[in-house]
Amino acid sequence: MSRAVLALIALLAGCSVSSGCSVSSDVSREIGARCEDQDECDDRCLSGVRFPGGMCSQGCDDDSDCPDGSSCVVLAGGACLYSCTGDRGCDFLGDGWSCNAEAERGGEPDSMVMVCVGAP
Amino acid sequence: MAVAAALLLPVGARADAGDSPVASTQELGAALGVEAGGRVSPGGFHLVGDYLYQLSDEDWFDSGLSVTIGGGGAGCFRDRDDDFLCDQGIARGFAAEAFAGVRRFFPGQGAFTPYARAALGARLVSFRGDEVTGFAVPIQLGGGIRARVADGIAVVAGSELRLGVGWFDHELGAEPQIGFAVHAGVDFAL
Repeated sequence: MSRAVLALIALLAGCSVSSGCSVSSDVSREIGARCEDQDECDDRCLSGVRFPGGMCSQGCDDDSDCPDGSSCVVLAGGACLYSCTGDRGCDFLGDGWSCNAEAERGGEPDSMVMVCVGAP
Repeated sequence: MAVAAALLLPVGARADAGDSPVASTQELGAALGVEAGGRVSPGGFHLVGDYLYQLSDEDWFDSGLSVTIGGGGAGCFRDRDDDFLCDQGIARGFAAEAFAGVRRFFPGQGAFTPYARAALGARLVSFRGDEVTGFAVPIQLGGGIRARVADGIAVVAGSELRLGVGWFDHELGAEPQIGFAVHAGVDFAL
């Protein structure tokens, strides 16, 4: 009985019996979720070697179009990617992601910005 | 909590609620309102149909059906570990629920009669935008006020908190159900 009560309390606190606290996630349909096609994202699914596992993102013309913590880069025709200062900042995206300098879109000419992206 | 405490009070410790607000032992009610959900709890417009049967001076058996109709957008995604998660907005999804419980009326003033209610429900839940469906068992705790407006007719306004557990497909498994609804309607004596 007490285990059932504890399970209910855990569930109401935001945890799933089968998979732990499931909805606390660093990613979302807006940016960061794993994807294979656009239906899995709010805007677009980035795929290919620069985006291991696929990643939901959104098109942008400059940083103001991107969610907090992300930057607008020229890559993929203008896409929001997570900003970073080192490779560890990209670990949450999984294997193959690292922090690299990419051409910024909508900023100063030839400006670069550090973002999480797969190796070229 | 206050609702549960009130329901657990011994009969002798409670004030007499007096006459039934609509002076009948059976009633039908209909109400319309809104429900706020989130995650995998549906939200949107909330329609309720009640059948009330008088058990004592204060307590009425309260059963019925309700539906919650929200938007149909998508809110689920796969995280970086490939786990399927849902983060629906407060007004998305659909639910159809059957419930049964007790509504207790308290002494009122004039035509106004406050009440508290507790019920157990069984609801089918669906989020069309993500093709996610499930079955949930929520507890409803709430209260409100009822006012007699004519012989055999009363208007009612209330709110309820819905807490429980749902089981969903798409590998979601067991997930909490948390919702809050406010509604207004009419009760008719039979």
